[in-house]
Amino acid sequence: MSSDEPRQTIHGSTAPSTDTREARMGEGVDDRFNSKLREAFGTSPFILTKFDQFMNWVRGNSMFMLQFGIACCSIEMIHTYAIKHDVDRYGAGVPRASPRQADVMIVPGTIVSKFGPRMKRVYDQMPEPKFVVGMGSCTISGGPFQEGYNVVKGAEEIIPIDIHVPGCPPRPEALIYGILKLQERIQNGESSPVVVKPYELEEFGDLPEDELVQKLASEIDEDDLVMRYNWADSP
Amino acid sequence: MNGAVPLQNGDTVLLPERIADLTGLGELGVAGELLAAFLGAFIIANLMLAMTGVAGPWAKRKITAAFTDRIAVNHLGPAGIFIIVADAVRLLSKENIIPENADRPAYDLAPIVIAGSALLGFAVIPMGSGIHLADPEVGLAFVFAVAGIASIGLIMAGYASGNKYSMLGGLRAVAQNIAYEIPLVVTGMSVVLFAGSLRMSEIVAVQTETTLFTIPGLEWAVPAWFALVNPFAFVLFLIANFAEVGRNPFDMPEAPAELIAGYQTEYSSVYFVLVYLGEFLHIFLGGAIIATIFLGGPAGPGPAELGIVWFLLKIWAVFLLTQWLRSAIPRVRIDQLIEIGWKGLLVLSFANLALTAAIVGVIA
Amino acid sequence: MSTGIETQSDAETGEAELEALIGDRALARDEHLNAPGFVVNPDDVQDVLFDLRDEAGYDHCSCVTAQQYEDRFETIYHLKKYADPTDEVSIVVPTPLSDPVSKSAEPVYRTADWHEREAYDLVGIGYEGHPDLRRILLPETWQGHPLSADYDQEKPQVVTLTEHANPLESDHRDPESDTMFLNVGPHHPATHGVLHVKTVLDGETIADLEPDIGYLHRCEEQMCQQGTYRHQIMPYPDRWDYVSSGLLNEWAYARAIEDLADIDVPEYAQIVRTLGAELCRIASHMLALGTFALDVYGEFTATFMYTFRDRELVQDILEDLTGQRMMFNYFRVGGVAWDLPEPREDFFEQTRDFLDELPAKVAEYNDLITTNEIFQTRCIDTGVLEPDVAKDYGCTGPVARGSGVDYDLRRDDPYGYYENLEWDVVTRDGCDNYARVLCRMEEVEESAKIVEQCLDLLEDWPEDDREVQANVPRTLKPDADTETYRAVEAAKGELGIYMRSDGTDKPARFKIRSPCFSNLQALGEMSEGEYIPDLIASLGSLDIVLGEVDR
Repeated sequence: MSSDEPRQTIHGSTAPSTDTREARMGEGVDDRFNSKLREAFGTSPFILTKFDQFMNWVRGNSMFMLQFGIACCSIEMIHTYAIKHDVDRYGAGVPRASPRQADVMIVPGTIVSKFGPRMKRVYDQMPEPKFVVGMGSCTISGGPFQEGYNVVKGAEEIIPIDIHVPGCPPRPEALIYGILKLQERIQNGESSPVVVKPYELEEFGDLPEDELVQKLASEIDEDDLVMRYNWADSP
Repeated sequence: MNGAVPLQNGDTVLLPERIADLTGLGELGVAGELLAAFLGAFIIANLMLAMTGVAGPWAKRKITAAFTDRIAVNHLGPAGIFIIVADAVRLLSKENIIPENADRPAYDLAPIVIAGSALLGFAVIPMGSGIHLADPEVGLAFVFAVAGIASIGLIMAGYASGNKYSMLGGLRAVAQNIAYEIPLVVTGMSVVLFAGSLRMSEIVAVQTETTLFTIPGLEWAVPAWFALVNPFAFVLFLIANFAEVGRNPFDMPEAPAELIAGYQTEYSSVYFVLVYLGEFLHIFLGGAIIATIFLGGPAGPGPAELGIVWFLLKIWAVFLLTQWLRSAIPRVRIDQLIEIGWKGLLVLSFANLALTAAIVGVIA
Repeated sequence: MSTGIETQSDAETGEAELEALIGDRALARDEHLNAPGFVVNPDDVQDVLFDLRDEAGYDHCSCVTAQQYEDRFETIYHLKKYADPTDEVSIVVPTPLSDPVSKSAEPVYRTADWHEREAYDLVGIGYEGHPDLRRILLPETWQGHPLSADYDQEKPQVVTLTEHANPLESDHRDPESDTMFLNVGPHHPATHGVLHVKTVLDGETIADLEPDIGYLHRCEEQMCQQGTYRHQIMPYPDRWDYVSSGLLNEWAYARAIEDLADIDVPEYAQIVRTLGAELCRIASHMLALGTFALDVYGEFTATFMYTFRDRELVQDILEDLTGQRMMFNYFRVGGVAWDLPEPREDFFEQTRDFLDELPAKVAEYNDLITTNEIFQTRCIDTGVLEPDVAKDYGCTGPVARGSGVDYDLRRDDPYGYYENLEWDVVTRDGCDNYARVLCRMEEVEESAKIVEQCLDLLEDWPEDDREVQANVPRTLKPDADTETYRAVEAAKGELGIYMRSDGTDKPARFKIRSPCFSNLQALGEMSEGEYIPDLIASLGSLDIVLGEVDR
């Protein structure tokens, strides 16, 4: 899944990107699991089926995690990496600080309005195939802070999530279970359907003209990237 | 790529010659010899790459885990060894992201330069059991020279990524390498004074053939390994080497907590694998140099055919030491590092050189 | 410690002196449960505060609360003395709804800078003479002030993702430029969460630095204002400082509400609280040490792992006690949820085992970390925070104590059972990163002492007198218009809560004074002119938790 073309989501580019999300929302097998060979051959010869199985085994057994701490859950996430729980036993315990080298992003905490666009950017910076584990109630629904004026009601409103681990915060055992479930699903080539159409990062100029946009027109440039939160009917 | 190294006819039989003899390629003239050299280089490069393959995804994790009371990978195969396959294939199959602001040729070349420069160095290292690709008269100087190329790779990576963290990492790498290359080479020179030659095979021979002293009572002769002859130089060289390969306490170019991942921040997929392999190759090259000029190269008890085993053991011992330090020692600050380099190690290494020269002069 | 009667008369003479000092600049008096209040004209605030600081010695601006009444806005400055935090005074500044502007306190107390920005951001009060009155927690483009009366939460908002500008040079793409703007965070391995530090570098030296917070502003104050006193607020404090210091935070709320509703806590419950709180402090300081090691050592190293190994032990004990690893929700208004777990002997044994092994572990940390030569070169004389500067920024906790400011509410403003126990306040004169680390490590030992004594007391406590909760009505409705500001010594410093009751079962205003919020302000002062690694180390040694900074 390599491409020599510069991707449009890299820093400096202002083009909005929704490709990943649309791929996740589409019909049929998730783009992440499709090999270029299969695309080229069109059908599924035996050897390619075996190849796909091998690739799924590979991806399901080895993953670099993004070193990504947001809130309370990140403390339990660190415990999951640390001595007692040691998630590295399952080949999933190498935290990489750079998103370029990570496969799995564990979203450990509450997403608030100011962080939403940044998290989207970090997600976009990760190379495909990438997976997301939503850790804790806040990433499911906003959790205890759901009614807050500044709280995004679940990480799925911003990026597609593969596995949700409930809890506030989930115990390390629960997170390990979530990671194992994700590994199992990857090995089976299953992916989770994305049912919500999340908030977009788009150019300010592309926003539909309304009262709010008019008010902000003097502050924000036309081509600045913005995320517009509709709190009243969140997706 | 190692085939370009001019071959010298030393006393020892080199790997390409053996291959030429065994396969009969030697009869085909220059072309045959060249092919044999390529084959030899191929074997050595693969040996080293295999080692880094074991070290990177698996051994490093297991060793770190041992230092931190953990277990690390244990579900894939015996002791989790198949993680090597999984990690390698998965990393190679990832999407390769090339940043829009990247300076293209430099960005693409940097990983190759980093990994390749280390591989070149192995060409002149006598690994025992007849695995020795080339034995030029300037062997030691050649190793230092090609290992130094890596800093160009690092600054290329740092600069071409178009990322500020990479840039800082690349600049640090250069400042660090310059500050530590000189003590490294100067300390290496003190060994050359003892051995009287830059040729790697002779440096090894001098160490193994002379006896430092014999332990009375036991019929055991302690060989004159330079680490034992001049422990001071050995320690100096070790420290300078850690800085040269950028490991704790001198892992400034990467400095995960400060610079995300330093010069390699923007690299993904294949390029990241190359950069990562390159790092390990450099650690192993550092270990190989240390083993060769201080620890008697492939020397060890038992028949000479076991040489490669002893040699690899010594390399791995150095690798273990780097991992140990990584687990236990804090990182110094960049200015402190430069200070240690220029004010400490440089002065000490020259003092060591002068002293060695004096002693060698007196003895001779 | 003085007895209660003396404090009473001290307070009365103190009040008379204050009245004389403020004179006719006081428009009226306002009684808060914790301190005398003086209502001051918006134009006189600065003068009054200057007088209070320079002449009456109120050198600690603990908190600035802003709130909206039906007919006015109000800013309250909660002042204290570092020498004696029980000597408090509140300066109340009402401003009209039509023109809510009062004079800034920033020239008097540096710490008021961020506090007033927060007041502007959330409530919408303006401060004349404030150097930089921008939003602090919410994005710049936010519409409305969420804690003001007419805010509509349902309205859409737009948040930008734009390139930040270099504050030192207008065109930082200029090839001749000497400085480089660097975003450290909000996603960065060393920011301990989602802090964003805007730094300008000259080479590797930091030329300018501004912490940008608000990436974890989870509306904690709003949540608490929507909850009932009796049960619904208590779970939230666990999530302010979430590194297992939950019980310490819960105590802040417990103390404030018990003061507001005038509830006495049974002695037995106080001992259990003290026990739990100090265990939390140990866990929290372990994490501080571990993450600091992470910042100075590099990736997940042995030191870091060992601190987490020991944290697990503390968390096991706390789990046995409270039923949860991190979000305990164990305190109740007027006591604790339940007694120690049965069989009690096992609990005592487990806890004592931990305490017995602790000295050896602390010695191991000292071997591994603090006596390491390289560690010392990295930490000594970096991130220097002079005591005067620390006070000016309202720093508390180990950060202040590492700068030689002898201030610990457990001793100076006693609550719980601390008065009756033998322990010492740890202070260090180093003022640098090293002093702060040592301070925390020694505090772990002091906390262990306290836990040990609590265990002794609990073991010998008569079985028929184990009252864990006071008799508290099911619905708690403190009298209307009672106000209080109460603080406890949490893991990071003074954690205070201001509450105003309007006679219902929910607080009309709930304001959290977070120690990290104040401590973080000092980062610029500590790091400017130093190198990036020092910035990272200083940030680690401040031991901030973003949940508490942003609330």
